[in-house]
Amino acid sequence: MASRDIVTYRTPASVLAGVASAVFVVVFLIWTILPIFIMFVSSIKDLLEAFKLPAVGDWSGIGVFFDFTPTFKHYVDLFTQEKFGTYFFNSVASALGSAAISVVLGSMAAYALSRAEFRGKKDLFFWIISTRMAPVVAVMVPLFAIFRYGGLVGSTPGLIIAYTTFNLPFAIWILKGFFDNVPYEIEEASMVDGSTRLQAFKAIIPLVSPGIGAFLVLCVLFAWNDFLFASIIGSGGAKTLPVATSGLVQPQNIQWGKIMAAGVVTTLPMMLLGLVIRRYLVTGLTMGAVRG
Amino acid sequence: MTKVIVSEVWKMYGKVPAVRDLSFSCESGEFLCVLGPSGCGKSSTLRMLAGLEHISAGEITFDGKRINELPPKDRDIAMVFENYALYPHKTVRDNMANALKLRGMPGAEIAQRVERAAAMLQIGQLLDRRPMELSGGQKQRVAIGRAIVRSPKVFLFDEPIGHLDAKLRGHMRGELKRLQRELATTTIYVTHDQLEALSMADRIAVMNEGVLQQIGTPQDIYNHPANEWVASFVGEPPMNFLDAEVVTAGSETDLEVRSGALCVRLSDAHRHRLNGTRGGLRLGIRPEAVQVAAAAPAAGWTSGSIYAVEPLGGDTLVEVAFQGGRVLAKTGADFRGEMDAPIFVTVDSSKVHLFDATNGRALT
Repeated sequence: MASRDIVTYRTPASVLAGVASAVFVVVFLIWTILPIFIMFVSSIKDLLEAFKLPAVGDWSGIGVFFDFTPTFKHYVDLFTQEKFGTYFFNSVASALGSAAISVVLGSMAAYALSRAEFRGKKDLFFWIISTRMAPVVAVMVPLFAIFRYGGLVGSTPGLIIAYTTFNLPFAIWILKGFFDNVPYEIEEASMVDGSTRLQAFKAIIPLVSPGIGAFLVLCVLFAWNDFLFASIIGSGGAKTLPVATSGLVQPQNIQWGKIMAAGVVTTLPMMLLGLVIRRYLVTGLTMGAVRG
Repeated sequence: MTKVIVSEVWKMYGKVPAVRDLSFSCESGEFLCVLGPSGCGKSSTLRMLAGLEHISAGEITFDGKRINELPPKDRDIAMVFENYALYPHKTVRDNMANALKLRGMPGAEIAQRVERAAAMLQIGQLLDRRPMELSGGQKQRVAIGRAIVRSPKVFLFDEPIGHLDAKLRGHMRGELKRLQRELATTTIYVTHDQLEALSMADRIAVMNEGVLQQIGTPQDIYNHPANEWVASFVGEPPMNFLDAEVVTAGSETDLEVRSGALCVRLSDAHRHRLNGTRGGLRLGIRPEAVQVAAAAPAAGWTSGSIYAVEPLGGDTLVEVAFQGGRVLAKTGADFRGEMDAPIFVTVDSSKVHLFDATNGRALT
């Protein structure tokens, strides 16, 4: 088998491109990591220390950024003065709840769309994805009316349903592609082996797990980072982390320390999720690619 | 040991019939090949037997019990798929054990059965691998292993060795035939490869365009094809077909078939079959019934010229052009001849096939 490597030769242009890409990577890293770094460091600084800045042009004064006594008081305040424990739970419950419902319903719908032939299938499929075409803001007012009528405003179940309405079409769209890639013979083999139709469906779930994994991440991220739904549908009873954080910006007092700590509390779980699921996603995707 | 009877079965896809009025039986322990080109309805037939397709009309019975309405899991069949359809995420062992687990068999017995089947197929060393790590031939063995651990009533094979390379295919034909005889399980085997059918089957059912053309032993199919289509489909190199005419050679009982310059004197048996038919018909001659010689050894040989020579190692195919047509002859490996060189050709008249010119049916 021929090598899959892209053959490159050294030319002045390629050297230049190499330097340029190195510069780009450095700038990009600073651009991405610096805000997170500042957020993290400020969250463990006392407010006075956090606002210490060197004079403009004084590069040797950069040390003042690191000249502080670490304190966790902002974190303690978040969970004692504010009710960030509850908000954190609301965020987790609404993100995982809608992800779980979307995965279960979405995989079944995607399976049906992938395997069954029926009249109007294409139209149905298009309709499902078209529900994602309108921006959230556009549907927010009618949705709010419906939710209020149903008594769902300000409750975690309400938020879960709201996220599910937006995640489910996405789940169907992504998972259908994965089901399409699983040969039907595998299910048939399973049915001949003695499975019922439902057992055969379950038998191929491991084969679409990369799709489910990818979707779960996207779904959790969507709900976790969402502000609009959470501020309107979840307002009051089901405040999530982003909404609660924005609540720390008060007209007479912006609580920078708490805001930074809240930022860390909001960001960290998603970073951990990414790390945990990355390895699984990659192995899953390779298994799908080299289907045997 | 199960007898399978397919009676008057139709399969419709929308308004398109894929299988038309199909009836045949497969005796208990028999190895039946369903042979036909792609799209002839053979796979639909197999899938109806497996329960993966609904039966549009007609009835299929296993040992007299109607199975039309039974889902696959209740039919006690095992099927080997063309693309093997192994579970990619399971090891070979789990692939083979799956059916037994689903039936709630105790673990110790499952392990024992899997080991035994693996030993039979010589895949014992592969049990802990995943399908991805296997070669085509090994996957195919695993697929067969998954079928035989079950000891099902009926084996269904859907072109199981079609994806293997030619050498391995030849090897697997022998293995499969031996395995089937040892297990003595009723087997229905679908293939488009006439060589597989001829070499493995007890009987062959030949299908074309959804219609059963002929069912019989390999010898029957080869030596007495029911119609021109079967004759052309079975046999490699393919049979020669010539438009011919029946003429009297002297007396009324002395008949000849002429096609251009080629003429075959008919035997008494053939005369019977003609049953008074005169005029046009189709003459079928297998290449091995055609003899060639550089010089005419006797009267009655037709002169022609060499159109092409294809040495195959063991034998040589010679295509001879004569006035009014061309015919392919199979001759020994020692044949030597240049293109366009003169040559003489004759046909073993006891081995010619006569077909009706209009409907292609064999004259019998």
